[in-house]
Amino acid sequence: MAKKISEKTLKKSFWNWFFWNGCSQQAESMLGMAFGQAMAPVVEELYDTKEEKAEALKRHVTLFNTEAQVGSICNGIVCGMEEANANGECTPEIIGSVKTALIGPTSAIGDSLWVATIIPILLTICLSISQANAAAAWAGPLLYMVIYPVCTCIISWKLYKFGYHTGLEGMQKFMANGKLDMLTDTMTVMGLIVVGALTASFVSMSLPIQIVKDVYDVTTDTVLEAQVLFNADNMLNSIFPNILPLGLTLFVYYLYAKKKWSPMKLMGLILVLAAVLTAIGFACGVYA
Amino acid sequence: MNMVQIILIALFVYLGAIGSIVGNTIGWYTLGRPLVASFVVGLIMGDVPTAMLVGVPLQIMYMGNVTPGGAVAWDLSYATYIGTAGALVFGRGMGTTEVIGLAVLFAGIGGLVGGIMWNVSYALNLPLNRIANKYAEAGETKKMYIPNVVCGQLIGFACRFIPAVIVLTSMTAASGQGDFASMIPGWVTTLLGVFGGMMAALGMGIILSFLLKKQYHFAIFLIGFILVTYFGLSMMGVAVVAVLTAVLYFVIVDKMAGRE
Repeated sequence: MAKKISEKTLKKSFWNWFFWNGCSQQAESMLGMAFGQAMAPVVEELYDTKEEKAEALKRHVTLFNTEAQVGSICNGIVCGMEEANANGECTPEIIGSVKTALIGPTSAIGDSLWVATIIPILLTICLSISQANAAAAWAGPLLYMVIYPVCTCIISWKLYKFGYHTGLEGMQKFMANGKLDMLTDTMTVMGLIVVGALTASFVSMSLPIQIVKDVYDVTTDTVLEAQVLFNADNMLNSIFPNILPLGLTLFVYYLYAKKKWSPMKLMGLILVLAAVLTAIGFACGVYA
Repeated sequence: MNMVQIILIALFVYLGAIGSIVGNTIGWYTLGRPLVASFVVGLIMGDVPTAMLVGVPLQIMYMGNVTPGGAVAWDLSYATYIGTAGALVFGRGMGTTEVIGLAVLFAGIGGLVGGIMWNVSYALNLPLNRIANKYAEAGETKKMYIPNVVCGQLIGFACRFIPAVIVLTSMTAASGQGDFASMIPGWVTTLLGVFGGMMAALGMGIILSFLLKKQYHFAIFLIGFILVTYFGLSMMGVAVVAVLTAVLYFVIVDKMAGRE
């Protein structure tokens, strides 16, 4: 009789992965140990002898890495292949090479679509709720705390099952039909608008230079004290509102994306810039 | 802060770090996000409104800090739990911008400690591979959780909880020395305010590096920008516009793809 992984074992394997995928992350096997633990119940069910179990476990504690939430599809695919292997329809070599091949695309989708686009958008929406109403600021984080884990868990489980049932071919077909690219593009458009608005709302930077003088008013024959003759910030903002925050953000983007500066280094640069601007502000009397 | 508050916050620093017992989805991606972290600190310290005041800017600033790969610049949970706690402890009697600046500063300090501890745990986890291989070679399917969950957790817990308790305790001790709002000179609070406002650019710049893939994407980014500066929309309003634009974009691209 052909061997089949029971629904209960699949669930157990999924929960092992969902909760403990990052527990023992390190540079040698990345998420390998966690993957081995997730596969353990499946291996236990599929193989009978100690030698077979040892062979199977050994190929799953080796190097593996992905974005774990979307990457649960890899676990599903590998479970399906182990099942085939137990029935003599697949070889350990193929399982190993498929696992290696899955690392790239699933990490890319997970990191760019899930982690770098969907999470920030959801955070932004929740953050706007907190921002809009100070009295109900708790509603934003509370909403995020419910929506994000629940939705992620469901999607992660669906992907796992999808991987188990359709295997590598199913995933490739899904990736090749263009729907995924379209989804990514759409989310990018949404993300960009939101990030643009966030930049305008939250980044603040001003050039604190002004010239203040007492002015003699001819028409009324009085001396008007401390008149602002020139304010660099007002001038810049009349050209394009919030031009300095925009410039700073794009400068940070340029240094991070093109010059590969580390965030820590960027933070230091911003601190220095802030110190210089504060000093200028005090020298010109903008800050008192 | 009293001892119970310190222990609770340190516990959440651990839970919100990468690879805690509750998993990365509930831990790192939920409890570790500054928006949630500041809310939790607010609950523990009994001051949710002030905590949320700093939580929003901290979230913006660390928006780009999302990838739990090998290159984690800061341990985010360290940065935000300690940042918010620092702002609440030291910021009494200060204005909004100064409190935010203070939070940014303490988040930087917390993040520095967190960055070191992340590297320490990353290195300490290496020998666990030996244990995992030993169990795998023996075919012990029932014991595979030992290297991953048990050992990994002990290391993770030690690297997060203990340093966090030390940092929080010394912060509490320092805050007892006097009234900081009156002790700190005026130029420092001004600098903190300026720095806090500019730090938001860091999060936005990094997130842009993920999103800007084509030249015309820059125009879409600017649309979002001017919706606020010229049209005065609130963030919620922009979010609605963004969703509607995305829907239209999807429909148009879908139609075009069908015609080819």
